[in-house]
Amino acid sequence: MTNTKTASTAYKVALSAMMAALALIFSYVEAIIPFSFGVPGIKLGIANLVILVSLYVLGGRYTLSINVLRILIAGLLFNGFFGAMYSLAGGILSFFVMLLLQKTRLFSPIGISMAGGVTHNLGQLLVAAAIVENMKLFFYFPVLLFSGMVSGILIGILTHLILRKLPKMGWKHP
Amino acid sequence: MIRKADIILAVCLIAAGLAVSYAFSAGQETGQMAVISVGGREYASYSLLEDQVSTIDQNGHINKITIKGGHISMTFSDCANQNCVRQGEISDPSQSIVCLPNKVVVEIQGGSEEFDAITK
Repeated sequence: MTNTKTASTAYKVALSAMMAALALIFSYVEAIIPFSFGVPGIKLGIANLVILVSLYVLGGRYTLSINVLRILIAGLLFNGFFGAMYSLAGGILSFFVMLLLQKTRLFSPIGISMAGGVTHNLGQLLVAAAIVENMKLFFYFPVLLFSGMVSGILIGILTHLILRKLPKMGWKHP
Repeated sequence: MIRKADIILAVCLIAAGLAVSYAFSAGQETGQMAVISVGGREYASYSLLEDQVSTIDQNGHINKITIKGGHISMTFSDCANQNCVRQGEISDPSQSIVCLPNKVVVEIQGGSEEFDAITK
């Protein structure tokens, strides 16, 4: 089985479910260990590690379902309804930006993850600004941008290391 | 492992961040009025020159603001995350305190902006 060039649909579906479970565990770890540095909205985003890896291994469509499933379940379990809404906005925006950057084949996982971290924070900020109907919230954007870059780069380096160790299953190595 | 496009992207992002922070830091002066809005609508405004404590009771949520020595802070909120209370005191027109769960926003007005309005 390890020698097959392309993985079967059943294999991909099973792998997606495992990836979603793994991402959920990472969300849980992040919810119980607050990596908060005194500023609201700053976090590591370790669940994005799973999303990035599966973007390379499984492709866009499977990854989108993993991402949406993770956010909805994690939102219901740990963050509450409003928390899920912020995560969903950030998660969907960052997913499409990362997918787009990956398709260009110009960026390494580090650059893709960095863009994902920043746009995740941007999506959440947009929802927050829409809820309080106050654009002045964007004074907070530079802080979120730089924190998103830093955590994105860290997650990107981890992704790079993991992708190198994974056995090739018919997907292109970055 | 790092590509050229990664570095270009990083430089662009840093430039964007600096531009936004520069845009918001323009006019670093102490304001004179604190404007409280709830759900996007203006609720009340207070002078920062008078020390006072005020309770905002809107939509079944309670927030308390304290003005002391020209600074305003959110000293109580019945929200779950307490980010607004932890943010401490502000006095600059570029700053604001936001209590997202209760949709309460505290902004500072005045300083250079108000002065422009008077000289017109």
